[in-house]
Amino acid sequence: MSSFGSVLPTTARGILSSCRVPLRGPSIGPVLSSFQQVRGLKSKGKGKGKEQPSKSRRGPQTFRQKDLKDMPQFTLCDAMRYIRAIEVGREPTVRKYELHIRLKTKRDGPVIRNMIRFPHAVQTESRICVICPPGSKHATEALAAGAVLVGEQEVFDLVKAGKIDFDRCLAHPDSLPALNKAALGRILGPRGLMPSAKTGTVVENVAERVEMLRGGTVYRERDAVIRLPIGQLGFSPEELRDNMRVTIEQIKKDASALTDRVNKEIYEVVLSSTNGPGFSLNGEFRTNDSPETSALKGV
Amino acid sequence: MVNVLKRLRKLQTLLDTRLGTGAAIFPTLASASKEFPAVTRLHLTYAQRIEGGHHGARHFWRKCLPRLKYHNPGVPMTVRQTTEQQGPAALSIYFAERASDAAVAVANEKKVEDSHAPAAEPNEQAIVLNVKDFTYQQIWDRVQAITNAQKVSGTAEDTEQLKRWKDIQDKSVKDRQRVNALRQAKKDQERMLAVARGEVDKSKV
Repeated sequence: MSSFGSVLPTTARGILSSCRVPLRGPSIGPVLSSFQQVRGLKSKGKGKGKEQPSKSRRGPQTFRQKDLKDMPQFTLCDAMRYIRAIEVGREPTVRKYELHIRLKTKRDGPVIRNMIRFPHAVQTESRICVICPPGSKHATEALAAGAVLVGEQEVFDLVKAGKIDFDRCLAHPDSLPALNKAALGRILGPRGLMPSAKTGTVVENVAERVEMLRGGTVYRERDAVIRLPIGQLGFSPEELRDNMRVTIEQIKKDASALTDRVNKEIYEVVLSSTNGPGFSLNGEFRTNDSPETSALKGV
Repeated sequence: MVNVLKRLRKLQTLLDTRLGTGAAIFPTLASASKEFPAVTRLHLTYAQRIEGGHHGARHFWRKCLPRLKYHNPGVPMTVRQTTEQQGPAALSIYFAERASDAAVAVANEKKVEDSHAPAAEPNEQAIVLNVKDFTYQQIWDRVQAITNAQKVSGTAEDTEQLKRWKDIQDKSVKDRQRVNALRQAKKDQERMLAVARGEVDKSKV
């Protein structure tokens, strides 16, 4: 039959089929109608198909935001309690709390990118040298703040011997004459380590500066999320709160400092840790059921 | 950021952190009795590899310590992993003022030295338990006995959630078998077809 149909010219086939339909009676009716419907759908689908690629090529303009209504949210102290339990037995200065800040933003356009100095230093790796009179109040303070090398003549001797075992160098104004006399500019200058008032490395309050330099962290927005380490596992909730407050304020400032056509808002803040799960924060500090804040620090 | 559902599934670990072996509250300074003084610190030392009976100590750290830490957030707990396979596997428990009699009795069974454990403060007394060749369950039973830690049983909601989670895990076993069978059948058929096609090619040549 099919071979017969294929032999016939197309017009004849059309006539034949149109003749055949009424002969078959009502039984074919629904089949035919369904066939036509499918055709109709198909053609519609084709039309859509033509529109779709152009649509998908563009994609949505903004990042899709997940509905957070199913997401359990925690107070800071509760989240810390879980994280500290999960990271138990780890080195508290090595393990870090991490903050993930989800933004409401467009897919394209400028991204937030900046550096922050926390009130409580997160990184301990940055080695800082402080040039100030040895034995002075500033020297002890700088040492307490985490400087690795403090002194005057001994530092100069070490530098002249070629032992430069630090990556930042600060100086106190009292030591400036001695520093200039030692003529270290040739050695430290090319390395960018020579203290000078212009770069803000000759300061009165050395200890504070050491804290600031140690606490510097670079962050940037990737796929609408900013991730950055926010504290060591041994931090107390208050310290962590201070760091978070500073971070969020600065990110808000960064967002408003971008061109006025770009609108970025913070959508969700998640606290996590080096190996821990992420806890969506609800913005509260603690509830009555949370443990005492004094219990949430140290090891 | 990771999908919300994935994150929710990951947060199931929280239930595991709250409940199970080791979920108990140590006597605190407020709730201590004469017989069982408060526990102030814990320290665990064991070797890197499991040979020589260090497996129980490691499991104790992985399974029990997080739960203990969750229920006793103020008790510092430290873990030291050494490379000395012959060295001790020891759990040091620090009691306020003096150790409980039960603790001293257990510690005297086999005396071990733990050089990595921090020294006890003047108002503390430390006992060192030998945990070599013990399973984590045995270690926990001893710890509970000598400290009189009060077990925490979850709320009705918790147990219900645990059951739901277990159901999911059971179902996933079945599903895995079913999907494996389907995949195997498909592979078998493809192989059969490939063999048949190969024969046709050969006959053509």
